Order: sequence, then structure tokens, then C-alpha cells
Amino acid sequence: MNRIAGRGVITLLLALVLVAGFSFFIAEFVTQADDWAVFSGSPHVYNGDNINCGVVVDRDHILLADMQDGREYSASEALRKATVHWLGDRYGNISAPAISHYAQQIAGFDLVGGVYSYGDASGVVELTLSGTAQQAALEAMGSYKGTVAVYNYKTGQILCAVTTPAYDPDNVPDIDKDTTGAFEGLYVNRFIQSTYIPGSIFKIVTLAAALETIGDIQQRSFTCAGSYEIQGEKVTCEVAHGQQSLKGAFSNSCNCAFAQIAIELGGKTLMEYAEKFGVTDRITFDGITTAAGNFEAADAAINVAWSGVGQHKNQINPCAFLTFMSAVAGGGQSTKPYLVERITVGSAETYQAEVHTGEKILSDATVQVLQEYLRNNVATHYGDGNFPGLTVCAKTGTAEVGGAQKPNAMLSGFCADEKYPLAFIVCVEDAGYGSAVCIPIASKVLAACKEALDN
Amino acid sequence: MLTGAFDMNPTFYNVYISILRYAAPILAAIILFRCILPLVSFRREPEIWGWLCLPDETKLPITHWENVIGRSKRSDIVVDFPTVSRTHGVLTRYDDGSWTITDTDSSGGVFVNGKKIEIRALKPDDVITIGGIDMTLQPISAKQEARLAHHRARGSSFLTGLSNVLLLTLLQIFCCLAYVMGGQTDSAQSVLLGFGGIMVCQWLLLLFYVCIRRVSFEVETIAFFLCTMGMAAIAAVCPEEAIKQLVAMGMGLVTFLLVGWSLRDLERAKKIRYIAAVAGIGFLVITLLFGQEYYGAKNWLVIGSVSIQPSELSKVCFVFVGASALDRLVKKRNLLLFIGYSVAMCGCLALMNDFGTALIFFCAFLVIAYLRSGSVGTLALAVTALGFAGVVALKIAPHALQRFASWRHIWEDPFDAGYQQTRALMCMASGGFFGIGAGQGWMKNVFAADSDVVIATISEEWGLIMVVLIVLSIVALAIFAVRSAILGRSSFYTIGACTASSILLVQVILNTLGTVDVLPLTGVTFPFLSNGGSSMICAWGLLAFIKAADTRQNASFAVRLVKNGGEEDE
Repeated sequence: MNRIAGRGVITLLLALVLVAGFSFFIAEFVTQADDWAVFSGSPHVYNGDNINCGVVVDRDHILLADMQDGREYSASEALRKATVHWLGDRYGNISAPAISHYAQQIAGFDLVGGVYSYGDASGVVELTLSGTAQQAALEAMGSYKGTVAVYNYKTGQILCAVTTPAYDPDNVPDIDKDTTGAFEGLYVNRFIQSTYIPGSIFKIVTLAAALETIGDIQQRSFTCAGSYEIQGEKVTCEVAHGQQSLKGAFSNSCNCAFAQIAIELGGKTLMEYAEKFGVTDRITFDGITTAAGNFEAADAAINVAWSGVGQHKNQINPCAFLTFMSAVAGGGQSTKPYLVERITVGSAETYQAEVHTGEKILSDATVQVLQEYLRNNVATHYGDGNFPGLTVCAKTGTAEVGGAQKPNAMLSGFCADEKYPLAFIVCVEDAGYGSAVCIPIASKVLAACKEALDN
Repeated sequence: MLTGAFDMNPTFYNVYISILRYAAPILAAIILFRCILPLVSFRREPEIWGWLCLPDETKLPITHWENVIGRSKRSDIVVDFPTVSRTHGVLTRYDDGSWTITDTDSSGGVFVNGKKIEIRALKPDDVITIGGIDMTLQPISAKQEARLAHHRARGSSFLTGLSNVLLLTLLQIFCCLAYVMGGQTDSAQSVLLGFGGIMVCQWLLLLFYVCIRRVSFEVETIAFFLCTMGMAAIAAVCPEEAIKQLVAMGMGLVTFLLVGWSLRDLERAKKIRYIAAVAGIGFLVITLLFGQEYYGAKNWLVIGSVSIQPSELSKVCFVFVGASALDRLVKKRNLLLFIGYSVAMCGCLALMNDFGTALIFFCAFLVIAYLRSGSVGTLALAVTALGFAGVVALKIAPHALQRFASWRHIWEDPFDAGYQQTRALMCMASGGFFGIGAGQGWMKNVFAADSDVVIATISEEWGLIMVVLIVLSIVALAIFAVRSAILGRSSFYTIGACTASSILLVQVILNTLGTVDVLPLTGVTFPFLSNGGSSMICAWGLLAFIKAADTRQNASFAVRLVKNGGEEDE
């Protein structure tokens, strides 16, 4: 019997296999359960590819989407259209990376408690967006394609970011049958996924680089004869601006003057500063990564000149440029934008956004001059009357895209008011002059954002 | 009526669930701790059943009912003389206190009163001669035997058993209420019947034990606990099948008692062994001839409206076949017949495409082969053979290959090959340690949520801790079986208990680790837990073998109270 009893160890061996295998699983569970619970299609979090366990509200707690059982959007058609690029649609044509990024927090998942919440309480995602500003922006964009965005350059909260064309997710248009091109790029969130030739708004970057590197640049005067010849090729202005100070050249958006400055800086320095200012960087926030911009100014002098005025191979992403603008507005350090303010499940707060400020990229002196010049643009050229109650600093741009299309109209700037720390960017495709198209849009959108902050 | 009242008060339900998700695992832990502790810690003192008196007046103690006499140090009674064979003979005690001695093909032979014998019942004062040494057997007296029984580790007291069952009943009531409140109104009746039925069964069994003066109820309490959680899974997935499962559990209990009864008498058990051998292979052959194919495996037998998986019943038969008393075991070391039988069984299962069950039989075969021969070489040979068979099987059955292909890669194909397991892991993660609440789960939408991947269903609704407890309770049964082995009255029981618990373990390994993608998913049931009548009956049948090895005093109905042994008790 001793022998047989001793051989019982084989049963213990099997028990050991079970315990070891199960312990291995427990280790996997502890380290990976958070991924499993919110893996796309996880039944308590998703319905198909769509998050299915929470509601999304705007900064004023206005319901944008109810995702508890299927997907119900706002009752207002205008609001549905104005937010579709952030909330996504039912069919996955537009994804909602900022929402799915927080699947775990929306579901209220934690290792010990799982997704349990008392009484099956639903997650509430509070966005930084203002529904009313979104609608105002959508309306202001009219039939133009493009994007307009406003964010708080002190905190990073995106108050408004609208992309057109947009559509009503509850009433999807027949896109396949359309021949007018009205729906081209319909599913693209242009604010984060597109890049644009910046045109003259890039002169802010060139000016900043010049202020940082050329000591006496402010004392210079620049003569514009309507064109500036470089090695047999020309940089042109629409009119001859004559003799102008740096400030005048900036407000006239004089290509000839900025071509000279660019050449004096040299392609290498320009590229260094473009990189330092982060205007071509990818920005990452709330699970979103923006499209990368492009800046090349290394080869022939004429290309350096065109690069310096925002043409050539320049490409900027609206969100990234807006982030750079926050450094100009806010004292030399940029503030990272964000879309999701907080997430609560029942009485528990599972997420709260934080302010992320970047490194100092502009000296105080440069910031001061840039602010003064940008302010001068609005005061002398664009008209303060467009922005009642706000002290706006801005620069327009008219970016030639070539072909039969009209130029892209661009505008970027900020409000200098302590109460309204708003930076903005307007990009309108196939539009014409920046000032003519963008300023009315910015006027309406900023007014709506001001109101949102007042409330 | 009950449901209607609760429907109107969803807040009560929410409060109830929020408390129960912590209370249920705590209660389960208390029950299992109380049951497992005596199983893994009971005192195992050597018992002396007699002495072998040598001419020089030394007395060699006889510590088992079946004893190998020989020169080898691992013999139960070591007689270290060069003329004695390493394994010379076997001394066996019977229920009635009588003894026999068997010659195990020793070179020198065994003589009783000068006559060479093969096997011989020993009378008092018979002189046994082994290797030229004369010795006499001196059994313990009736008084000594009574003292032995008195000092033997006892099964836990009636009160402990009673309070465990009371606690379990409490858990069952809590579970039942949660499903009645959280489920559909029309399913409330079957849920009530399902849980209520288990309660009635466990109390009836306890009552029966009291009547036959057996008090130990730990093993049964663990089984009823597992049945309860299985019923919870059924209530979550398919409440309409609760009654069917209850009937299966009833049949399982009858099987448990029948198998236990047949094991009570070793001579009877030895005879039944032959019937079991025929039945075991017979079940499989009949299935092979008349079976129905479901989900790729032809392992179902449909008789009228009842469908059974005869291969489950064959498992119990297989344990019978594999078990053997020591005299026979030592004498006939040859495993060929048993190997042939096992190959035939596995072959039938392979033909049915039921590779999961074939694997269980193979593991059971390994365990039995090792217990009987102690030869690691045999095992190595068998495993190698399985390797070849496995390669061939995978060539023939691409269905099985697909499971291997997705093994550890389930997240790469979450909608097809990895569907069941990814949903299982997602739901287990969603449940966390304490579950999302009875009746709140999603696993019911997954195929086999109440059988092949049942632990995910339980983990989702009751939490990971509950699943850990469930797995540990099976491990505890196995440890108990092995600990009992040394006190086994016969190697028949020791082999039976170790094999039965090994089968339970293998099933849990394949089921649990398959569900969570540590192993490929094989579609094997979890004993007592999975919905399925045949599996339930098999699990109870196997449990009887564990009970038959439980020699604690007054512990097991499958062990006779020793004659003269329980005078104070009888």
C-alpha cells in the first residue's frame, strides 16, 4: 500500500497543473483585464464598434448623445450636424476617438469592481465643447468647406471645433449618388485630420523667428515694389506697398518684405524655428493624434522666400497651428488642447482633465511684439467692429492652392481679454480672400464663444 | 406573485445586488473553508491491524489491510533476509477481520504450515514460512480494534455538517432571490424549483446519512455548492432548463449512492468491475453505431425526447476497470490488457470526433497506469504515442486544428475562431472580482455559456473570486483523495479515488483553462457546474470513489463500519 499511496503524487501533479495554469490566468487577468473589458466589441461597453454605455453632454450639460442602448443623438438637427465629427455616426464612417479613448472611464471599469455601478448608473462624458457655439460655427461656415475652432489658450478647453461639410447622423444623405462634390471629404474631421497650406498666417512664424534672431529687425524698413526678384524668379504682392516698417509690412501682409526676411534668416534657421514652435508637430490629446504638418525651406532661395510667406510646400494642421497660437497669446508657452473635461459614473468621478502647458518657445520680448503687431492688424485693417466686446489679435491668410480652385482663406488669432482667453483658427477651402471670408465667420463664432463663457 | 412584488421595487433589487455581490463570495468562502479544512488536515496516524511474529520474538506491525511482504524497503512489511524476494507476498485483511496470504510469484514461494500455497485464508496459529523464516500472524483483538476505531480520525461532527448545509442553504436562497428578482417573470418558477430542488436533495441526503450513522458531509457540501453555482449559470442563461438539470442531479445522487454501495464491499466491487468493463466500452460502441452528431462530435444518443452522452457514463466504468486490489496488482504487473482496453476506448472516442473526452480518458489512463505500475517509462511511452495520435488526429480533423490555430491568438480573430473566448474574457473582466450582479450578465448570448464556458458566466455575474473558490474546491477534493490514499483499506479504493479525482481535475483544467485561452478550448464540461445531465451523473459517480476511500471513522457511507470497531457507536 505504501507504494500505491506514494504514487498518488500523480494526482497532486495534475492539481499543481491546474493551480499553476489558473494562477497564470489570474496574472493575465490582473494585468490585462482593463484591455479586455474595453476591447472593441466588449459587450458591457460596446455595441458592435460603438460605445454603448454612457451619455455625452456639452460644457453646459446639454445632451449630445445617449449611448446607453443603441445611439440617440440630440433632438436638435443643427446640434447633431455640428457635433457629428466628434461623436461619430452609427456606422463607423466617422469614428469618435476621443470617446472610445475613455471607454474604460465611461464604463467605470476598475480591476476589482469590473464595470459594476450601483443601479447600472451610466457614465457621463462632459465635453469642453459649447453646443451653441458649435451650432453658430456651423451656421457661419454656410456652404463652405473647412474648419473653425476656438479654444481656451489658458486651459486648453476646446470650446468650438466644427468641420464642414457635416451631415445629420439621424438622416444620412445619399452620398454615393451625389455628383455635386458637396460631400467630398464628408467623413474627415478637418480640424484634426487635415492639413492646409497656411498662406500668410505663417508670417506669424517667420516674424517670430526674425524677432528671436535678428536684433534690429524692428528698426528696419522694407520697400515693396509689388514684386521681389530672387535669382531671376519673383515673389509678388497684389499691390506695391511702398516703404513700410516691420509692423506695417506685417499688417499689409507684404510678401516682398517677408521674402527678404526669410532669405535673411535662411532656410536652416526658418526650419529650426518652425520645428521649435511645433507648427508641424502632431498633437496628441484624448486619444486623438492630429495630422503632421510639413515645412521645407532647405533648397533654393526662392523656395525659402515662398516658404517664409506660407506657400511652397508648407502644410499646417489647424489644431497644431492653433496650439502654437496659444504660445503667442499666453506668454510663450503653448497649452495642449483637449476635448473631454470630465467623466462621472454615478457619484464617482472617473476622469478629470488637466491643463498641460508646453515648454517656453517664445521669449517675453517676442511675445510682446507679436501681440502688439497682431493687435494692430485687427485695429487698423480687419476692424474691431467685427468683434464687439473683445480685444482681438489676428492674422489673415490667402493660400494659393493652384488649379482652378480659389485660394483657401485662413485666419488665426486670439483675444487678449483676461476674461476671454480664446485662441482661434478659421480655414475655409476654395474661398478667396482671408479677410473677406474668414472675418465674418470668426466674428460670429467668437461672439458665440464669448456668450458661452459669460454663462 | 413574488416576482410581481419585486418588479415594482427596482431600488430594492439594486440595493440587494450591491450587497449580495460581496456577501455571496464571502459566504461561499466560509462554507468552502469549513468543508476543505478538515479534508486537507485530518490526522493520519498509522493504524496497526496485527503483527507478524518472527522466531526471534520480533513483532512486525501490520499497518494496512493490504500489505506487501518483501525484502524491498518500500514493502509494507519489510523482512530483510537474502532468501526473501523483493516482493514476496501480500497479506490481506477483509471486512470480517479474516486474513489471507498470497504468493506473488516469489522465487522461494510461500508456505503455510509447511505447504506451498498460492493463496490461503489464514487461521489462528497457522505458521507462515517465507524464505525459510517461520512466522505467525497475530491479528489485533476485538478490544484493540475498538480502541483503534475510537482513536481514528473522525469525520467531522454532525453539527458541523448541519451548519455547513445551513450556510449553503442560505447562499442558495440568496442566489435564488437574485435571479427571481432580476430575471423574467415567466422564468421565476423554474428558477425557484431549480434552487429549491437542490436544497431538498442536500437535506434529504444529510437526513439519510444521519439514519445510517454517517456524519461527514464535506465532500457532498462541496458538490452541492458547485451544483448551486451551476444552477446560477442556468438561471442566467436558460432558466427553462433548471428542472432538467435538477432531475439530472437527482439521478446523479442515485448514481452516487449506487456506486458507493457497490464499493462498500470489495468483493462485490471486484465483480462489478467486469460488468463495468463491458458497459464502459458498450456505451461507446452503441453511441458509435446509433449516435447523433452535434457540433462536430458524434457523442449523443437520442432516445425519445431524452438525449444522453454515454461517454460520460463510461468514465465511471473506466475507473472501475482501472482499479485493482493489491494482490492482483503485484502479481500481474502486466498492463497489456488494460492498455488494450484504453486504446479501444480512446479509439471509439476519436471515431466519434470527441477529442475532449478522449483526452480525459487518456489522462485517466496515464494516472491508472502510473498508480498500478509506478513506471515513469510507461508514461513516457504513452505520452509519445499520444503525440503521434494527436498529429494524425489533427490531420484528419481540421475542426480541431482550428482551435489550436487560434490558441493564444484569440484577439486576432475576435469574431470567428476567438469569439467564445474573447467574449468570455471581456465578460470576466467586466465582472471584476465581485461580478456585475446576478441576472445582469451578457454571457448568455454566447454559445455554451452554461457548459463549455460556464466559468465565464459565473465570473461575470458573481465575480472572479467565486470562480477561484470553485476551482480550489476541486483541488481540495483531489488533495483529500491523495491524503486518504495512505489509509486506504485496499489499493482498489486508492486507485479509484486518485483516478476519479484526476478525471475531475483534468476536466476542470480543460474547461477552465480552455475558456480563458491558457489552453485551447476543447468543449469539456466542468464537473457539477456545467449544464448537462450525463456530465452531472458522471461527476456524482466519480465522487462516490472519493467517498469510498474516506476511512475516517463514521465518515463515509461507502465504507463499512468496521466490525467490532464501532462498539461505542453501533
